[in-house]
Parts: sequence; C-alpha cells; structure tokens
Amino acid sequence: MAEPTGPELSRREFLGVLGASAGLAAGCSRPDRGELVPFTRRPDGARPGTADFYASACQEGRNVCGVLVRTREGRPIHVQGNDRQPFGAKASLRAIAGLMDLYDPDRLPQPFTGGMASSWPAAEESLVSVLLEARAGGKPVLLLTGALLSPTRRALLKDLQKALPGLVHAAWEPALGGDPESAALLACFGDARRPRLRLDRAKLILALDADLLSGARPEEIAGFAANRGERAMNRLYAFEGGMSLTGANADHRVPWRPSRAAALGFALARALGRRGIPLPAGLETALAGFELGALAREQGVDPALLESLADDLRQAGSSALVAAGPGLPPQAHAAVFLLNAMLGAQGHTVDAAAAAPAEPLAGREELDRLLRDAARGKFAAALFWQANPAYAFPDAALWKAAAAGLPYKVRIGMHADETARDCHLVLPEHHWLESFNDFEPAADFLLLQQPAVSPLYDTRQGEDVLLAALRGLGGADPADYRHYLMERWRREVQPAGSLVPFERFWSAALHEGVLRREPVARPPRRLDPAAVARLAGQAAPLRAPGFELALGPADGVGDGRQANNGWLQELPDPITKLSWGNAVSVSPTDASRLGLVDGDLARLTVGKTAAVLPVVVQPGQAVGVLSAALGYGRAVGTVAGGVGTDLYPFADAAADAGTAVKLEKTGRREALAFVQRHHKMEGRDIVRSLPWAAHGAGSESKQHDLSTLYPPQEFPKHKWAMAVDLSRCVGCQSCVLACQSENNVPTVGAARVLRGREMHWLRVDRYYEGDERSPRVLLQPMFCQQCDHAPCETVCPVAATNHSDEGLNQMAYNRCVGTRYCANNCPYKVRRFNFFEFTAATPESRRLAFNPEVTVRPRGVMEKCTFCVQRIQEAKSAAKAAGRELRDGDIEPACAAACPAGAIVFGDRRDPESRVSRLARSARGYRVLEELGVRPAVTYLADLRNPADGGKDG
Amino acid sequence: MAEALSAAALDERVLSFPERRPPAAWFAAFAFTSSAMLLGFALIGYTVYMGIGVWGNNRPVGWAFDIINFVFWIGIGHAGTLISAILLLMRAPWRNAIARFSEAMTLFAVMTAGIFPAIHVGRPWLEFWLAPYPNQRGLWPNFRSPLMWDVFAVSTYFAVSVLFWYIGLLPDLASMRGRAQTPLRRMALTVLSLGWRGTPQQWRHYEKAYILLAGLATGLVLSVHSVVSFDFATSLVPGWHMTLFPPYFVVGAIFAGFAMVVLVLSAARRLMGLEDLITMRHLELANKVILGCSCLMGYSYACEAFTAWYSMNPYIQHTFMQYVSGTYGWAGWIAITCNVLVPQLFWWRRMRTSQTAMIVVALAVTAGMWFERFVIIVISLYHDFLPSSWHVYQPTLVDFGILLGSFGFFFTLVLLFTRLLPVIATTEVKATLPGAQHEGGHHG
Repeated sequence: MAEPTGPELSRREFLGVLGASAGLAAGCSRPDRGELVPFTRRPDGARPGTADFYASACQEGRNVCGVLVRTREGRPIHVQGNDRQPFGAKASLRAIAGLMDLYDPDRLPQPFTGGMASSWPAAEESLVSVLLEARAGGKPVLLLTGALLSPTRRALLKDLQKALPGLVHAAWEPALGGDPESAALLACFGDARRPRLRLDRAKLILALDADLLSGARPEEIAGFAANRGERAMNRLYAFEGGMSLTGANADHRVPWRPSRAAALGFALARALGRRGIPLPAGLETALAGFELGALAREQGVDPALLESLADDLRQAGSSALVAAGPGLPPQAHAAVFLLNAMLGAQGHTVDAAAAAPAEPLAGREELDRLLRDAARGKFAAALFWQANPAYAFPDAALWKAAAAGLPYKVRIGMHADETARDCHLVLPEHHWLESFNDFEPAADFLLLQQPAVSPLYDTRQGEDVLLAALRGLGGADPADYRHYLMERWRREVQPAGSLVPFERFWSAALHEGVLRREPVARPPRRLDPAAVARLAGQAAPLRAPGFELALGPADGVGDGRQANNGWLQELPDPITKLSWGNAVSVSPTDASRLGLVDGDLARLTVGKTAAVLPVVVQPGQAVGVLSAALGYGRAVGTVAGGVGTDLYPFADAAADAGTAVKLEKTGRREALAFVQRHHKMEGRDIVRSLPWAAHGAGSESKQHDLSTLYPPQEFPKHKWAMAVDLSRCVGCQSCVLACQSENNVPTVGAARVLRGREMHWLRVDRYYEGDERSPRVLLQPMFCQQCDHAPCETVCPVAATNHSDEGLNQMAYNRCVGTRYCANNCPYKVRRFNFFEFTAATPESRRLAFNPEVTVRPRGVMEKCTFCVQRIQEAKSAAKAAGRELRDGDIEPACAAACPAGAIVFGDRRDPESRVSRLARSARGYRVLEELGVRPAVTYLADLRNPADGGKDG
Repeated sequence: MAEALSAAALDERVLSFPERRPPAAWFAAFAFTSSAMLLGFALIGYTVYMGIGVWGNNRPVGWAFDIINFVFWIGIGHAGTLISAILLLMRAPWRNAIARFSEAMTLFAVMTAGIFPAIHVGRPWLEFWLAPYPNQRGLWPNFRSPLMWDVFAVSTYFAVSVLFWYIGLLPDLASMRGRAQTPLRRMALTVLSLGWRGTPQQWRHYEKAYILLAGLATGLVLSVHSVVSFDFATSLVPGWHMTLFPPYFVVGAIFAGFAMVVLVLSAARRLMGLEDLITMRHLELANKVILGCSCLMGYSYACEAFTAWYSMNPYIQHTFMQYVSGTYGWAGWIAITCNVLVPQLFWWRRMRTSQTAMIVVALAVTAGMWFERFVIIVISLYHDFLPSSWHVYQPTLVDFGILLGSFGFFFTLVLLFTRLLPVIATTEVKATLPGAQHEGGHHG
C-alpha cells in the first residue's frame, strides 16, 4: 500500500475544507443575476396548499370576458368567470381553455433572429435600428394586429405613431372577414359602435344566422336563460342555414338560406308596417319588392309561420330583439337595424348607450391595398402582432407577394406559426395569464387583466416590445407596460378629485378586476332611413339555384388562434359532435341527391379555390347551404398541425354571392372522430321536453317508486345531489371544459376518439327528434348520476367503487384493477377507462396545469365524475375553520360554477329548503332511467319550449 | 369392445404410446400449435406493457374478445366433466374409453379460459386483490360481485377437475411405471403414481374417492357455467339481465364441449390408431348429445325472443333486434345457423356416423358457440340504454392474435398430453373387456 505523498489531511480537516468551499460557492453571486437569496422564509402571500384567486380578463376577438384565475403554489390551474362583472357573466369556452395555451409546450421560449436563438437586447436593438432607419428614410412601417379593445394599448399605439409618423396600423379579425356589420352600422347610424344585446330584457328574439348562444357568448346565454322557466318565458325564432346552438334551442327554427336573410328582414319590416307600425319615411317604395308570402313560397316555408312571427314581433314591441350574424352582408344588418328601430327595441333590448367605443377593423379593401403596397416594397418593415396572415389571410397569393416585398418582418406571438416562419425576427409574447392590460368591453365598465403567474419563458408582453421600440425611437420611457398602464389610469381613469390615493384605487381595481363607471352620455343615435333604403336596393337578388357556403369560427378552436389546444380540439362541435377537425355540413336532401353520407370525402370548389374535405349530413341544414368551421388546417403545432381543413382560402369567395359553389363526391372516405354516433332517442324517455303553455297543468312528472328488499340507506350528515334545468341549458359545453380543467381529465387524440375512448367526465348529449329536414334538437348534460343503488358498486370485485355516507358514488383509484365491469353495468355510460397511460404522456409543461387536489389516474384505471368531491371537502374545511355550518351554495362543482345559464345546481338533499331540494320537487323534475331502480341523485328539469301555437305538435 | 383385444394388447397399444418417438405429423402439429401459443403469449405481453387499448374494447363495449374467449373456453371444458362424472354416476359404460381424453380437455380448456380473466383487467399485477387473503389494510374483496363468484367457481372447478383426473390416472401411471425402461422415467412415474400397487384396499379407497369426486364434479357441471352466466344475468344490461341465462349457459357449454370432444377424438383415434378403442359408437353417442343440446339451444333462443317480446321492455326488445339485424346481425345469424340448424343433420344416423359430417358439424358448433358469446357480450353492450353512447366495436389484430394463441395453447397441451400420458384409462377399459370381472375392475 502506497503511503500518501501529499500533506496529511485528517477527516476533520477534510470536512472543514469541504464546508468552506461550499460556503464560498454559495456566497458567490453571478454578476448578471444579482444576489441569490435562499428560500429560507416563505414569500409573502404564498400559502402552500391553498388556492389563490386573481381577477383578470381574457380577450377573444372582439369579445372580452372577466375571469377569476385559480392558482396553486404560484401556477394557474383553473379559469372561471368573474362574477363581479356586470351581467354576472361566466368565462367563455376559450377563456377556460386558455389555461392550456399558457402551458403549451410549443410556446417560443426566447427570441429568434433569422431562425437562430437570440436574446432580447439583441432582438430589440435590431428592431429599433430598422425602425430608426425607416423613420430616417421616410418609409412607412406596417403594424397588423387583432382587434384593439384596450384603451391603454390604443394610447400606446398613438404614442408610437407620434414617434414613428410612418406607422400604418391595421386591426384585423380573420373570422369576421370584411366585418359587414360595422360597415352597415357606419352606413346606417354614422357610428360603428356595436350595441350590447340585452337578451335578458327580450321577450321575443329573432336570430337571423346569429349564433347568440355559442360558448363564446356567456353573457348572451345568461340573458337568454334568465327567461327560460316557469315564471318567465321568452320565445326564440331562428332562421339559419346551418344548425347552430341558437337554432337548437329555438322555439321555432327555420332552415333558411343566409343569402335570403336580408329579404326576410325587409319583408318583416313591411309586414310590421301593415300591422300598424309605420315604416320610416321613404322606405315604403324601397321595400315594395319584399313580400312574406312570396318568400315563404320561395323557401318552402309555411307562410302562416312567417305571418305569426310578424304578429309576435308586433306584440312584443320594444321587448323584441332581432339579431343578425356577423357573416351576413350589410343589407341583412340594415334590415335588422330597421326592425329593431320600428319595434322600439333600440335602446331597450338593443342597447347602444352601453356600447363600447368602436374599434375599427380594417376592411378587406384596406387590407388588400396595404398588402399590395407591401408587395411593391412600399414598407420598410412590418410587425405582425396577434395576427397570423400567412394562415388566415384568404388570398394566399397576395400574402406571398406581400411577404416577398417586405424587407423586414417581425412576428410578435407565442408560437413559431405560419407567419413566424416567414419573419426575420420572432419575438415571443406573454400569454394573457402573464400580462397586464385593461379592456373596455362596454361604456359603463372597464376590465383589468393582471398576471396570475410570473412568465414561464423568456418572453415579453407585446406592449413591452412596442414600448422598447418607443424608447429606441426617443419617445417617453416608462419602465414597462405595467407602469405605462398605471400612469394612464392615474391620469385618465381615476375620477378627478378623488380623495382615495391612487395606489389604493389601483389595487382595489386589480383586486376586483372590474371598474364600473358612469358611461359618457351620448345622444341616442338615429337610424338613417335613406341609408337603409339604399342598402335595401342592393339586397342580393335571388341567387341562382345551387349551393352557397357559410363559414364561421369553430365552436371549439374559434378562428384558429387557439388551435394548438388539445382541450379545444377534443371538445366536440355542440351540434355535429365532431371532435378533432372540421367537415362541411350538407342537408339530408342534398346529401341524398349527391349520394353522400357522413365521412365521405367531397371536393368543395368555390370559384378557383378547391379543397377535399369530409362531409357531415346535418339534419336541419337548409337545402342548398353548405356550412363549415374555420380555424382548422393549421400547418404548424404539435397539436393543431394537420387537423382538419383550412377554409380561409374560401372566405372571399364565400362572401361573394356571385361565385358558384360546387360539391362533388370523390368516392374516398375518412373516419370522423364523432363522440356521439346515434342521434335519435328511439322513443326512450331520456330528454323530456314540454310546451311551456302546458307546463304545470297536469304535467306532473311520472314518479317511479320501485320497492326494494334492502333497508333504506342512511345519510346522517349530507346527501349531495344535483339538478339540471334543461330549459336553461343551451348546450354550450362550458361545463365540459371546466370539468376537464378541474379534474385533470386527459385528452386522447382523434385516433382514440374514433375508437370510443374519449375521457370527458361530463358530456352533452344531443338528440334529433322528428323530421330530419327540420328536426327538434334536445340537449342533455350527462355525467355520473351518483346513484344510491349504483349498479357499478355491486359488480366491482375489489370494491374500488363504493358509496359514501353523503350519497357519493366514490372511486378509489388506487384500489381499481380495471375489470371494466362497472362501466358495462352503468346505464348512463359515464365511466371512463384509461385504456393507455394518458397522464404520464402529458408533456412536462402541461402538467403544471394539473389541479393538485385531484389525483391523476394511471392506465388501467376507471374514472368518472365525483361531484367535485375536492370542492366539497374544501368548503367543509372552510366552514369548520369559520366555526359555522355549511350553507346552501357554499359548494359549487366546476360544471355548476362554469355554467353561464345557471342550469346546474348542486346542494344537500337533506336540507329540504336547499335550492337543489326545491328543484328536485319541481313538477318538471324527473330522473333519467329511473325505472331501472338505480335511484340517481341527479334530477333533470324537463326542457320547456314556447312555440307560438302553444306546442300543439309536440 | 373389440374381441381381438386382450388386456396385454391394450396396455401395449395405449401405454406404449408415450414411450415411442412421435410421428412426423405430431411434430408438424406441435410446431404449428406452439407457434400460435407463443404468438398469443407475446401479444399478451404486449397488452400488459401497453394497456388494454391495444385491443378493440371501447366504451360502451368494455368486454369483448377477452370475456368471449373466457366463456367459450370454460364452456369447452364442460363436456369432459359431464362425460367423466355424470356418465359415471349414470353407469354409462361407454364413457370409459373417452373419459380420460375428455377430462384432460376439461383441464386444458379451464387453463386456457383462466388466462382471460387474468389478462383482461387494466392492472393485472394487482390481480391478487381479488383473492380473499387477510391483510393489514383490512380490505376484502367485494363478495357481492359476480366476478368474485367467478373466481371461486372457476378455481373450485379447476381444483376438483385436477383431483378427479389425477386420481383416475393413478392406476395407469402405475402400469406405466412397470413398463418404464429408463431409471429417470421410472423414478418420475414412481413419484407420480403415489405408491399405487393395486392392492384390494387401494382399489376400495380409490373407488370411494372417485365416486365422491364424481359427485362433487357433477354439481360443478351445473354450477360453474351458471355462475359464469351470473356475470351477465345479475347485471342491468339489456340482453344480459335474464333469468334464462344459467340453464342456457350450461346447455351451451355442454354443447360446445361435446363438439370439441368429437373434433379432438376424431383426430386422435385416426392419428393414434385407436379406432377400435374409441369406436364410432362413442362418437355417435356424443353426436346424439350434440343434437339434443342443439334443440335446447334453439329453445333458448326462442325463449330469449319470447322474453324480449313479452317483457314489453323497449331496451331488451331493441337489443334482441340487434342480435338478428343491425351492424352485427350477421353474427346472430351465424350463431343460429351453426348452433341450431346445422346439428339437425344428426337426426339421420348416416350423418351421426359419418366422420366427415361430424367434423363439419363440430366445427360449425365450435364457431357458432364462439359467435353466440360474441352476440351476447358485444351486441348487448354496443346498444344499451342511452343511444348517445352507442358505438360499434372493432377488434384489432391483437385480439385475433390472442384468440389464435388460446387455440394454440389448448392444442399444445392436448398434443403434449398424447405424448406423456395414457390417453385412455386402460384400467377402466379393461374392466369392460370380456371376462374382465375377476381382475378387480370396479364397475361390476
């Protein structure tokens, strides 16, 4: 053995040296990061194990909704509506799903210059130098953005404009096309402010291809649902080409060509004229050609129905509301303005006084002109912020030319998307959950957006990029956008002469997320009859027989901006129940003429544009109308890439009435990922629907009282139960997403949906009844019914699913071996099996969205709705800590909390006065499949419909 | 029995079989069946590694090939028990020549069947939780679950069948011990024959034990498939929830089992030259059982239809219509054709005694009974209460591979059995030989 040659080092000395070197290492701070502070004390405000809520706001196109963000240990895990905002609106579908975008693993982690990873200082320097050069050379710079709803962002753009006079700004929302509604507003009122639709005040609603009840419009759903019950009942007429949720919920739905919507509106105005509401001067002659009877014959509709609609409108007067969809031409909007004005609805159900300042969107002509200029090399640079023209601009050739003609292109966005691929500089942007902003959705209140998490990546808010440009150009220099925002609020928003210190005012506003204020008094705007007459003169003549194409944003992925979101991709269309992709909807009549069935691939040709996409035969689709969703067919994105077909190239041609639309069978087929494949109830008592006129009168619901050999179950403390009011529910599926977010429900992808393996704990079933040319649509949220005599419980060999003494049918995931016997024996088929390992396959960043209160499930395990047992426990603990009893309403499962219609009510059946107990006793109450003796804990309240004839037919 | 056959010749014919080198045909068959078996086990390994998702099972069809195969193979086993136990108690001496083979088939069929409940669960490594063993968590299985009853019924059945078969084997094992040429073989047979010397006392005990086990096994013939049918009958699923199921399943099991017995014996007697031991009379009697069962199957199907109609229950009526129309209507018609119509050929003696005809019928019944389980399990599940959840089922290649593997496993065991053990109970057959009474035969 060799003797140590070096100096002897005893063990004690060795440890001493080791400790000292460790201390030295820890003590040294890296010069660029400042001193490192060890986490010896908890940061202020962070309470491990408890959830914090932050009020914020989410913009989506021209809509904004105030939200509450639930965070745990500093990371957002759930988004729900902020009930402090006016109208008690809930979060929209895509706001709830925004959480997934925050954790999208495809997000850009840092700036890129020329495709190479770069740093912010370098990227900003390069941007500023280009802008300085442009200013020096007197060349303009193009800035293309989405709709601007933030007053502070508008102010920032104004500042930037001052520093860079050549800045040309255009706001663009691809799904709105040329924004015909604003054009019509401008023409008829001289002011493009969009009025707020007060469905809560409307007794009679006429929707012309207007999807008022989609999940993107929680406020309208809330207003509508408030008047759907025993006490108050509105009546909804929907005339539409494709089937929408609005049509599905209508008391009278009429398949109607969108191109004839304007004619219908003008003919109704004339019919009102005959019913004693005088037409504005000069319109008598302009509308002479519009006749209800002729229209009815032309569209194959019972003339009596149109006459009774006119009667209803006349009777409802100012309580009527007429709305036109954003895809309809300006003529249709003008007709709607005229109807609302004649009925006196203007200022009542159509509230322009509360309208937000108009946010001008660039029309198609303007965009075309700008891009042509770009192609000619007029611009020194272009910035694309919240706009993805490479994907969504309909004229791909023009975009290509423009991109080639732009010497310097900058993309500010979250992803390396289609536009970013063409750009020299790609600047990664914060997600809205990481950003500060303010919004002005209406004249009487402001919403504040605040970050609920510190930035996950080396990203910046888009506004901060512009501020950096502003600083570089020598403009004012606030430290960052947050200070810019606060400064503007100090100057302009806080009421002058307020005694409250600004800091307190600001933090109160941030806390609430909402600031109500007096709207600026504006004179009521008046409809210009001459403009209406002019538009009526241009009302599209009867189209040649043949197809017309109606395009609109998808219910799930919207206009495609959120297409890389698995939750939204897997969320089925509320009507077709198709997930992961889009298809062209064809009426049964046309389909049988062309020999098409669901899943056939057809070639759609509009003008010179053609694409092959799958067909869905849609009951209720108007004959001659093809409809399809935008937002699919993205070229990039690990989730979005290649899903569905991009239909933006058709947008121009579809808007032009003169273009011929062709649909041809190709003979090939594609498997479509439907989550529901059978559409009729087969005469079973599943969704009950009653005419409103008859409710209460002898409509006592059939009660099954099945005797049992077993002693009655004891529920000593609580008996949890739920009630679902089908009359309020519109089928928007907010509950589906909220449940997915709350309960860590995995997405499985198209291939597995095709095999029937989707995991949603809560689904909305949709049935068609009656004639497939014009069926009635019945919708029903379906989830675990928490049966007291649960058939799943008796068959599990290891007792993994069993009954709690509070009436919950609970799952012990750890105990489950996965025989699937429980699922076979569940009459509601609400149990979901982990056929593969879904949770472990979740990308690292997406796991941050997991709710730590809910166990994730491994493969081979059965799972299902728990009534959000974690929320029950949380509310119980809170009540105990406060030393009080649980109160009715303390517990809100995620679905109930998300429901904009207030259709889902949860509570304790042991308390006879709880809301759920009262609803369960309702005459409309029934339990689905009650005759099986399973004693479900969910009471459904029969749907009520209010057709004009009192429901003689059904 | 054939007059030319003496006891010594019988020994030579039957007991020498395992001592000779197998013929080429045996190797060819073994190569085929063992390859199929290996494929099946490889795919089972793949399933355990990946998850049940590699099968076609979905929602609402939670069970498919897995449980179809289970019920199918359990059913196959029933003929063996019926032949060895019930026919023994009923003193039907013709059973003796085919009892051993049928009992072996019972064991192998139950072993094959046992694979499926084991692999069909999502987390097979936790399967021991189905066993009622004391544990510090104080957790017990759910004795209300029919799957638990299955565990007990099938394991009891297997245990009794093994004992019954093994006790019957003892005298023959001793005979083989006497003939053994190599010391290793001799030692193994000495151990296996448990010291059987054929003393009158041993014969007395043997017969008592044999009759007792036969009595036990008789109850099991009726109970096992009744309990298996409870998996379905006690559930809520329309098409499953029927009081008819226990007798219907038992008859079906015996039916399928006899078809398999006819198939295997037809091949074995030919290939092993046992035509004079396993005679056409045996096969004809088995065919009569098949004919009788076929009529009972027809009655059961009619009874199902009647129940559906008479119940006025729309769910059951819809499910029954799906049996014979709709996406899988063809499967229902295959079951009816193969199980009810084709066996009617056996009304003619010429058909009952035609080797070709009986193989055709037996194959038809085997296929028909597999499809019957497909009809019961898949069709009942794919259209249940809420039409929103209805979804077709499509098996994957893995499903077919494992089905093939189960046949491979079963026939591999059968082939090994023919090489290792006497396929005919020589002691019992000797008892039925002319003038055999003095030899201590037990059927007096």
